[in-house]
Amino acid sequence: MKKTHVIAIIMLMLGGVALVLSSQNLSTYATFDTAIQTKLKSKIVGQLSLTDPIDYNPQEDPNRFSFYLVDEAGVKKKVILQEPKPRDFERSEQIVVTGRMLGSEEFLASEVLLKCPSKYKDEELALRNTAG
Amino acid sequence: MEKIKYLGEHLWVGQLGHFFILLSFVAALFSAFSYYRHIKDKNIVWRNMGRTGFILHGIGLYGVIGIIFYAMVNQMFEYSYVYRTVSDALPMQYILSAFWADQEGSFILWMFWHVILGIVLIKTGKKWEAPVLTTLALIQVGIGSMLLGLYLPFGGEVSIGSSPFTLIRDVFEGPIFSNADYLSLVKGKGLNPLLQNYWMTIHPPVLFLGFASLSIPFCYAISGLTNRAHKEVMRPVLKWSLFSAFIFGLGLLMGSAWAYEALTFGGYWAWDPVENSSLAPWLLLVAGIHTNLIANNTGYAYRSTYIYYILAFIFVVYSTFLTRSGILGETSVHAFTTMGLEAQLGLFLAFFVLLGIVKYVVSAKSIPIKEKEEELYSREFWMFIGALVLLFSCLLMSISTSLPVFNKIVELFDPEYIGKVIEDQVEHHNRFQIWIGVFMCLLSGLAILLRYKALNWSAYSSKATKHIGVVALISALLTFLIASYLLRPTWQHQALLFTGLFTIIANLDYIIFFIKGNMKIGGASLSHIGFGILIIGILFTGLNKQNISKNPFITKDFLEGSAADKAIVLIKGEPFFTSKYYINYVGDTLVANLRTYQLDFREVDKENQTVSEFSTFPSAIYSTDYTKIEAVNPGTSHNLTYDVFTQATPPLHLQDIENAQMVEDSLKYLSHLVTPGEKINEKNYKVDVIAYDFSHDFDSEQHSDIDGYDMTVALHLKVTDERTKKVYDAYPGLGLKDALIFQIPDIIDPLGIKLKLGEEGFSNLFTEEDQLDFVLYKLRPGESIMFDNGLISLGGFDRSPEHPNYQPKEGDIALGAQLSVIRKNKSSVELKPLYIIQDLQPFSIKDYNTELGIHVRFNNIDPNTGQITFAIAKDNRNSEPMELLIAEDVPRSDILIVQADVFPGINLVWLGSLMMLFGILLSLLFKHQTKSTALAT
Repeated sequence: MKKTHVIAIIMLMLGGVALVLSSQNLSTYATFDTAIQTKLKSKIVGQLSLTDPIDYNPQEDPNRFSFYLVDEAGVKKKVILQEPKPRDFERSEQIVVTGRMLGSEEFLASEVLLKCPSKYKDEELALRNTAG
Repeated sequence: MEKIKYLGEHLWVGQLGHFFILLSFVAALFSAFSYYRHIKDKNIVWRNMGRTGFILHGIGLYGVIGIIFYAMVNQMFEYSYVYRTVSDALPMQYILSAFWADQEGSFILWMFWHVILGIVLIKTGKKWEAPVLTTLALIQVGIGSMLLGLYLPFGGEVSIGSSPFTLIRDVFEGPIFSNADYLSLVKGKGLNPLLQNYWMTIHPPVLFLGFASLSIPFCYAISGLTNRAHKEVMRPVLKWSLFSAFIFGLGLLMGSAWAYEALTFGGYWAWDPVENSSLAPWLLLVAGIHTNLIANNTGYAYRSTYIYYILAFIFVVYSTFLTRSGILGETSVHAFTTMGLEAQLGLFLAFFVLLGIVKYVVSAKSIPIKEKEEELYSREFWMFIGALVLLFSCLLMSISTSLPVFNKIVELFDPEYIGKVIEDQVEHHNRFQIWIGVFMCLLSGLAILLRYKALNWSAYSSKATKHIGVVALISALLTFLIASYLLRPTWQHQALLFTGLFTIIANLDYIIFFIKGNMKIGGASLSHIGFGILIIGILFTGLNKQNISKNPFITKDFLEGSAADKAIVLIKGEPFFTSKYYINYVGDTLVANLRTYQLDFREVDKENQTVSEFSTFPSAIYSTDYTKIEAVNPGTSHNLTYDVFTQATPPLHLQDIENAQMVEDSLKYLSHLVTPGEKINEKNYKVDVIAYDFSHDFDSEQHSDIDGYDMTVALHLKVTDERTKKVYDAYPGLGLKDALIFQIPDIIDPLGIKLKLGEEGFSNLFTEEDQLDFVLYKLRPGESIMFDNGLISLGGFDRSPEHPNYQPKEGDIALGAQLSVIRKNKSSVELKPLYIIQDLQPFSIKDYNTELGIHVRFNNIDPNTGQITFAIAKDNRNSEPMELLIAEDVPRSDILIVQADVFPGINLVWLGSLMMLFGILLSLLFKHQTKSTALAT
């Protein structure tokens, strides 16, 4: 066998190991219930509850922002984000939070990703409104 | 719905555009076919037809480009593409950016470069022209099909491509289109303000030239395989690969510089799927260049060169597929809009994957292979391994990035399956790519000190061993020294630091002792040194990046890790101390729709002595109607060894009009009826009402529309903070604009109170002229009279007076009386009424003092006595009551939420990257020398 082949095979094996290792870094989108059960770091997809308070008072603490999120199973929990409030927050269609549960009522998020309505939808609304 | 005849549309523009799209598509197809026939039967006529086809294709494409620009410049909003990217307010300098801001435009940009490169190939390709252009024209057919916008007769909604000339009324539905004159209601959406900067003007063309140039090695590879001219193809293809590696690399570098400079990602590389999928083809291309060099110098590695070049192009197409099919979804910070072209992009990808595989498999047997294995001590052996490491890196990265694709495929078979996501992209990639870095550095240092074919190894071995040993020793020493400057390096980091230094020193050694400083053949070494410097820069920026916007005095009730404090709140004019910096929010300025904040930094040492001072200027961009902040840009202070990166966000109620209204609605105003001279006493503060001010200079930065008022009045107040006894001046006001009265509130932030005037008070203040009680007085210069507890005396005359209401003419007689009013408290006020005789008509211009309320008219002058008659009146506006509204607990508007990071070593990243690119450029320019001398060493 050629040396290069040996090295290529070693690399393939390493690649296999890397894949196995990184599969441990994977998570699925969870719900609040599974996050309470597992107590693990999880990603939760949900929608902002507009009827509940959205609190951000930078004069008191610029790194604390809280809101209520309804996950895909319909469960609502308070989410605390340790970051300044993202812009356009209220307009988001969907929110993905990464973090873990503190007890069974509060979710401490380290990251928030917003999915905003695409600009085309926005335009369509604008067009309809102008006409209406 | 019955047909409506719409007004104001320019349908011919779209029709002409469609014609050009079809022309360029058909011509590309024709060109590919003709060139293909030429390969088969070598008939020169077919070649000429191929050329004509390609030129026609170019003309069609440039026609499309011209038409789009025409529609954009003339703001033809009936076209969806124009509507999406252009608006009335879009400055002309961004028209180019608007052109490639959306998907169709970027496809066209890609094709545009293919045409240019194709023409270069027609001129210089010689015998490679026909086969290379066959493939290139086929690629153009593929991309061009994305623009066709043809609806298939069956299935209704199925279309081929998405035309840039689609009308908005075909895209959207809405009652607006029942109005024949709908166009007069439509305004363009305009370019996202985030994209309105010079990066958007220069980055996409370079990156797309990079993409386009990468097609050429692919075309050569396919041609080499078709013609079974494996040895001959390797030389011409190399210069294209080097060119592509340079331009593509430059495009990537510009992208990360943009991310670092102007976007708020907070770094130059985030392992984002979009970044990964453009880096992958570049890595493959670089691997291909290395095996290509092996092939040219030793005759090994023909097969892998083919594979790398084919794969590199396929990865470009794959990256197009990933980023434009919307499949990446929420895994990327880049926003995508789907065009509904997933299937078409998939087919495009599949076609070229198949073409590559088929061509390779059919000709594989004819590719020369050397039976004898590479020597262990030869350069090519280690270069070959290096190329494999690059491939490995690319695959690791691409597999992770493709997770959403994998999820989609599994979901097809198992609808119950819940897609997986990578928890932390950055951590995930860093963990594996650090080893890639280690091996790349090691190999690029080692291989350069060895010779091709292990030439004369028995004699050379001692020299090589000695050099490698010394280089390793020096690197180890330096690693030991430098590691102490890194914050908390792990052993993996130290290994990377060592290998980074190793490749720098080994390649320096090669330049000095082997090629004796002849940089014409030092391109490779220069690139390797650049790579080493880049690696060290990455280590420093990654490990030593420090968040300095921390408040040491806030203790968290739920502390978890360092993520807790990223931002601090700064109050204007009050320096804030945080980890050896005093940060002061000095103020802000508004120019057009850009508000720039000034943050002053003062770095101090342990004895509180100033070490350095600098400022950063983060900014916020308002939407064109000023109702909302659309984007924030960071401000960075550049220093030699570190950058300070800041990002500022104003408080919520200053971000957009909705929040501002919400805050305003939540305030509880108390109403007071006041007249000047009165006082209001509250628990926390006391207000002295001083006087009306009719010429107050409102801070135009706080009130951006202040210039538009016809008339303003302010009520001057002195507000005393009862706790601190500090006194603040406040000027709440009213403004008159087109018969409407606007309130101009004032806020005293330290007290948290907001002051407004009742709108009804405005009319009380303006006594009409005929309601004034004028009294006549006769005065001579030097004389005085008593008026309203004050002394009015006539000083002298101004014989050439100026006044905004007076336009001097030849032959005028104009006189200004200089009157001074001395009040009880000895303060004096000057008044100058005018008397003018123009065209034999006498008239006077009144003067008045708003503070005293005194009006003076210069009535006439008695030529005999020299006495002047003045009409003097006093209005009672300062005793008019005014409604003063005061709200407490108002959110401060002089605060700023600031994040600041120190980035050490960022300049190493830029320097290293630029050296890498410069090395490639050197190799490109002096390729022939490299070849001959590389064999000699």
